[in-house]
Amino acid sequence: MTYVKYGSIILITLVIVAGIGIPMSLEPAGFFEFPLIPGLEDKARNIFFHVPTAWTSVLAFLVGTFFGIRYLRTKNIEDDYKSVSAAGLGLLFCILATVTGALWAKFNWGTFWNWDPRQTSIFILLLIYGAYFALRSAIESDEKRASLSAVFVMPRMTAGLHPGARDDPSGKGPLMQSGMIAGNMRVFFYLSLLGFTLLFIWLLNLRIRAARLEHEHSRQQH
Amino acid sequence: MEEFLAEHQLYIVLGIVLLIWGGIVLYLLRLDKKLAELEKLIKKG
Repeated sequence: MTYVKYGSIILITLVIVAGIGIPMSLEPAGFFEFPLIPGLEDKARNIFFHVPTAWTSVLAFLVGTFFGIRYLRTKNIEDDYKSVSAAGLGLLFCILATVTGALWAKFNWGTFWNWDPRQTSIFILLLIYGAYFALRSAIESDEKRASLSAVFVMPRMTAGLHPGARDDPSGKGPLMQSGMIAGNMRVFFYLSLLGFTLLFIWLLNLRIRAARLEHEHSRQQH
Repeated sequence: MEEFLAEHQLYIVLGIVLLIWGGIVLYLLRLDKKLAELEKLIKKG
């Protein structure tokens, strides 16, 4: 866990410094210049921060689903609070992805919200997990508190404003393969994904330890 | 404000980084509070 902890801190710090600090140029020369994409300009730097929050959210919900299914099979309460801890973190990163996405949308697409397919799907996702936590808090008994889990995909099925969506006139296929992202940007993007993943593991670990303490304490009481 | 941000796009990036950082900090503060409450409970037995 020590490596996870310091790894996440170092990686995210590095990505913030590089992602904001490295200059952009129309004709980038060398590793320490990002290409300037017309229409995106400095806003392209958001890729290092906004996308990893969405990534972490998906990862967290998948981990939550995994432990949710495991709980249904084992009825081991440890699995239940692993599941709910991951889902809670998923909701946190989901909200962050939505809010940062809306801010970016304002300056790229003109409004904070315009029901782009992915905005719609993330909205549904927020509703699902909002309902999940409302339901959980309504049920007092540990055992009756069944783990609800949802498997979901946020595919590139429909044409949308997100670059790389199907039928996107500007890019063919996913953004990361379209060649719009230069090699050096990709390096920092992956480092950012790794940093956020480690941050998630660290937060999940903290959250599970807290849940375990809470559970052990309430058991001692009865 | 809007005009300024449209002209100085780096500040949008700053805003996004601050939003993410703020969200994580809020989460950590809540966790900290939760742990403090647990510690108090456990001390009481």
